[in-house]
Amino acid sequence: MERLRLLASAIAGRSVEVVAADPSEQAWTDGVAIHVPSDAGHRDAVRMVSVQAALVAAGSLTPLLGGARRPRVAPRYLAVEGHRALGACEDLLPAAARSLIDHRVASAVRSADESMALACSRSAIAPAPWEFGALHPRRVLEPAAPTSDSQTLVELEEDDADEDARWSWSSPVGGGGPLGKLLARLLSPTRSRVDSGPLGADRPTHASSVRPGAGRPVTTALRPDAATGVLGDADNVGTSYPEWDVHGARYRADWCTVTERNAPLVAAAQSTPLDGATLRRPLARLGVGLTPTRRQPGGDDIDIDAAVELVVDRRLGRPHGEDVYLASLRRRRDLAVLVLLDVSGSAGEPGTGGRAVHEHQRAAAAVLTSAAHELGDRVALYAFNSRGRKAVQLLRVKAFDDHLDAHVARRLDGLVPGAYTRLGAAIRHGTTILEHRAGTPRRLLVVLSDGFAYDHGYEGRYGEADARRALLEARRAGVGCLCLSVGADVEPAALRRVFGSAAHASVPRADQLPAVIGPLFRAAIRSAEAQQRVHHRRERAKERLDMDRRNR
Amino acid sequence: MTTAARPFYVPVGDEEQVFAAAYRQGLSLLLKGPTGCGKTRFVEAMAYDLQRPLITVACHDDLTTADLVGRFLLEGGDTRWVDGPLTRAVREGAICYLDEVVEARQDTTVVLHPLADHRRQLPIERLGTVLDAAPGFCLVVSYNPGYQSVLKDLKDSTRQRMVAIELDFPPPDVEEKIVSHEAGVDHEVAARLVQLGQLIRRLETAGLREVASTRVLIAAARLFAEGVPLAAAARAAVAGPLTDDPVVTAGLHELIDTYLGSAY
Repeated sequence: MERLRLLASAIAGRSVEVVAADPSEQAWTDGVAIHVPSDAGHRDAVRMVSVQAALVAAGSLTPLLGGARRPRVAPRYLAVEGHRALGACEDLLPAAARSLIDHRVASAVRSADESMALACSRSAIAPAPWEFGALHPRRVLEPAAPTSDSQTLVELEEDDADEDARWSWSSPVGGGGPLGKLLARLLSPTRSRVDSGPLGADRPTHASSVRPGAGRPVTTALRPDAATGVLGDADNVGTSYPEWDVHGARYRADWCTVTERNAPLVAAAQSTPLDGATLRRPLARLGVGLTPTRRQPGGDDIDIDAAVELVVDRRLGRPHGEDVYLASLRRRRDLAVLVLLDVSGSAGEPGTGGRAVHEHQRAAAAVLTSAAHELGDRVALYAFNSRGRKAVQLLRVKAFDDHLDAHVARRLDGLVPGAYTRLGAAIRHGTTILEHRAGTPRRLLVVLSDGFAYDHGYEGRYGEADARRALLEARRAGVGCLCLSVGADVEPAALRRVFGSAAHASVPRADQLPAVIGPLFRAAIRSAEAQQRVHHRRERAKERLDMDRRNR
Repeated sequence: MTTAARPFYVPVGDEEQVFAAAYRQGLSLLLKGPTGCGKTRFVEAMAYDLQRPLITVACHDDLTTADLVGRFLLEGGDTRWVDGPLTRAVREGAICYLDEVVEARQDTTVVLHPLADHRRQLPIERLGTVLDAAPGFCLVVSYNPGYQSVLKDLKDSTRQRMVAIELDFPPPDVEEKIVSHEAGVDHEVAARLVQLGQLIRRLETAGLREVASTRVLIAAARLFAEGVPLAAAARAAVAGPLTDDPVVTAGLHELIDTYLGSAY
């Protein structure tokens, strides 16, 4: 079924998923995904997908968002509107679907509203072909306009015909189809603690309402093992990290446990485009300066020294080469970038332009990862959040050795903000990953966060000091740090408290990154190299001092 | 320049008129448009109409000023100056076409400034001379605004020295004509390929960086003209070049089989 996704999206004119549904169901769509009975033959599936995609393209679902409709109207509406929708995009349809159109019906109405008027009237309407499937007015999702905030499920009146709608959500954050939202709901156990205290960083990411008498949802793409917040399963051992206690001015050894796991792969409704074109240029010249190289077989200018030698050698009858040019050669890129994306509850807050902070950050993560990848850098993308010091989780969206493909885009889309931000532990683990898996001399850690460090026992000054400390440790290890706040309304002073002297910036939208990214990257890399040198020098000095003392 | 026939180009708007007028006025031209929409063919056709030789340079990010202007070579014990393509065009009064100009290094495009404005001069630093452009010389650059950063990167000072012509994929009926003419296939086949192209262009964020261009449709049609079945031709010429992603490839193949497969 998944293979039909492009067909559906092309006809619909926007991204639509195709999902296998129960064989007993008729084909239907909520405007985000098209559900096709799993036992449908290929030709039938193509026809069903074409009809549903045409309905999406023709705006046929819009009148259904209006509110109460009598249950008998939906099939009548579909019998008219289906033909109109197919007729409207006839040029785009495969031959198999074209033959479904009844032009007499199609030409009788000019808009979805006219079809609805006709359906509500008393006139006789021929029943729709079975390939038209069904319409479920209650399940229609309002499309996420590119500029609007996010998808919200519109609660419609009960539709009697719709007996198997088991649950419904309303979500303040975008991203993810119903499946993704379900997964996210199961994976965000801290929501249940929301009412237990004034936890500023958290807010419910989903309000769920299970209809009385309805069964629990049974199908999920992955079996979530963390419904209660216990993260470690048998083969997934966490890593321990110390934490800086600013009050006692000392480290707390083995204080935090970080667990790495794969981000869930979900059928996402919208796809974050993995296109780094906008950042490619500002980043292209990093670490790849042009070096004038002598004694090249070709180049812009003549290498005078080599040319003189050549003439001398020739006069003396000695063997000589012809490499006498001076060329500007590009050095190989030797940079690895790890992007750490904050998916704590605070990222679910509304940010600039009416979109959630998470959406801005996700777009920034996508564009940064793609740009670095396209430039030939080693790049990884991890999301992080935490629920207490023993449960810091890093969700692997793309590891260094993963391909940058549609799966990465889907894992990224499936991320839903929840829980808290133990920034320090996440940064320390990110640094460890860079040190062990990057394999390049130059390494860069990019933290995408609103800078709101908050977790159990990780408040205010304590959390901020630990985050600053972790960034300093990273730079001492030679890892450049760059902190970006995208779409969040944060004061510069607050960012400085958390990110300290690490390169950081705040931009209202991801598309404003190109203007600031070049100098930031450069500053981060340079500062890491400087810190590392200073640190080594101090270490060596300390060693000498120790040795002197011992010798004395 | 006298070639046998005019390169096949079907105008969509007033682009031919604007080009010819700009040429006669000695203005430089900036062509904008997606990959494979016919920018290069348009310039070839105009060079034919205007009876000027055409010198094309495909720009890449290691293109230096020396690559355009020229350099000294060592021959025996002596040095010899060799003109670059731009210098040759300036001397001969040819049309110089810099394809995908923004790909060139920024320091390279600066050399175009005195050429592109009223001075029409090319300073050759290494020779210590300034060359006046011969009558008939015309500078044409092109770029693909799909790569957004590009807009910022072509300096405003460069942009404002040019007259811009925006090109896009032709409407379906014109594109059908083009595919059918270029590949020598009948209109039915061309129409089906164009329909496929239209569909792919409707996909907004399917994981494709670029959409199916007129060029790839023509390539598919040419494979078909050689006896390759239409669906297989489209897989090779359309799906393959567009993506390496296995998931997206599977989706494209499905699309191709649905629209071009022999089953229906």
